[in-house]
Amino acid sequence: MSAWISNNAQLVTSIIVILVVIHLALGAAAYLILLERKVAAWAQDRIGPNRVGPLGLLQPIADGLKLFLKEDYIPGGADRFLFVLAPGLSVIAAMIGFAVIPWAGTLTIGGQSVKVMTADISVGIVYLIATASLGVYGVALGGWASNSKYSFIGGLRASAQMISYEIPMGLAILCIILTAGSVKADEIVAMQIGPGHQWYILHQPLAAIIFYTCMLAEANRAPFDLAEAEAELVGGWHTEYSSMKWAMFFLGEYVHMFVGSAFFVTLFLGGWSLNPFGVGPDLPLGGGIGMILLQFGIVLGKVFLMIFLTMMVRWTLPRFRFDQLMRLSWEGMIPVSLLVLLVTSFMVFMGWIGWMWAASLATFAIIWLAHPLLPRQANPNRRIPLIGSRFSPLSDKALGP
Amino acid sequence: MLAVDLNAYIPVGILVLMAIIFVIVNLAATHVLGPKRHGAEKDIAYESGMNPIGTARKRFNVRFYILAMTFLVFDVEIIFLYPWAVTFTKLAPQSDEATLFLGRIMFFIATSILAYIYAWRKGVFRWD
Repeated sequence: MSAWISNNAQLVTSIIVILVVIHLALGAAAYLILLERKVAAWAQDRIGPNRVGPLGLLQPIADGLKLFLKEDYIPGGADRFLFVLAPGLSVIAAMIGFAVIPWAGTLTIGGQSVKVMTADISVGIVYLIATASLGVYGVALGGWASNSKYSFIGGLRASAQMISYEIPMGLAILCIILTAGSVKADEIVAMQIGPGHQWYILHQPLAAIIFYTCMLAEANRAPFDLAEAEAELVGGWHTEYSSMKWAMFFLGEYVHMFVGSAFFVTLFLGGWSLNPFGVGPDLPLGGGIGMILLQFGIVLGKVFLMIFLTMMVRWTLPRFRFDQLMRLSWEGMIPVSLLVLLVTSFMVFMGWIGWMWAASLATFAIIWLAHPLLPRQANPNRRIPLIGSRFSPLSDKALGP
Repeated sequence: MLAVDLNAYIPVGILVLMAIIFVIVNLAATHVLGPKRHGAEKDIAYESGMNPIGTARKRFNVRFYILAMTFLVFDVEIIFLYPWAVTFTKLAPQSDEATLFLGRIMFFIATSILAYIYAWRKGVFRWD
């Protein structure tokens, strides 16, 4: 047995990491819901849940128990198979995203060195793109299977939104890969640690902003939670769901948020690095068990800070309208991220990696200065002058000047 | 160096398997534990108390479809860019080979930008 363990040290580490991280993620998802309610209460000057246990800390357990005991109802017109499949898909798609995140450096134990990540696969970050796309299926199928108009519209909106924001997300990640020269997440983190290696949020601030915005949209978080806009669509694609099936959509959303934050930390915040500027001391790339636990704790701390930021965004910004959401992605973020990609590849071609931050800031300045010059759409919020609209029965010519 | 190590994918398989088991256990548990009471009115889809008119699986706006097609163009393009990016960074800056690599990919991106401008002019991105 011990010989097998030492021969398969990487596999054993991977399994331990899977067990730890899955429990951590599911536990965190449950407690993130409590944290969200507490943050909401704080932002709105209320108290928040405080009845179940000290400070309301047992609230997630009570909620989970209650949801298990609720009726698992499938409405009459629903497609029964897809209706059951959809929440499962959304949780699975969120949970398998963890595989390529480096939680800490290289662990040296018993004369062997192993990587503290679930799977050290060669495609690395491309795996993230693949799993992030899978999240669409749960939402789209759930909306379609319910046979309710609210669900249907919610599912359609969610799919359109998720595929729209995937493009700038992919382009922003591409900029990081061009800077780091590798698709493997642990090598990207290693490029941000040590002397002369800065965090990539300093190299690529524009790509970081684009990635963060897309992460919010991909996880269906406010201000992009159009799909479940409770003021318009009751509950969006999960209107017809009840009991644990309903809860699994939320579990999926919170796990998705956790994965997204972990990826932001990996790509832009240097993983377990504590020194963003590349001068002075920093944590090593690996070490003994104590150092690994410390690095793991630092990564989790950064992930928690990102999640807290996401929650503050939810309670700060109002929800987008659907046409604004689509315009932001297709007429805003995609051209900007293409521009950032072109600038980045030019800088890599010239060998000016160290000046990437200046190029990024210059791009930002150019966009800032040039955007008033671009052709402007008429106020899209119009209600009365419908003549310009292509849905108007009257054309401009029919009415005359 | 570029050889694919299939053993590295075993943990991914384990992770997927655990996720599937988690989902099945949850769905089965809530199915067994919850009460079951059916009724004619309960079977109706929720539409704010109104009786639903017809089915929800109607024809929907074609813009969603066109948008999905435009998305496909860009998503495939991005997937092609990843191997390019990794190879491109390995080349010496400003060498002839790097110029060739950059030129080719610029042409590739230019074609999709052309498609993007065409879609924009056609009003694919207008939702008013």
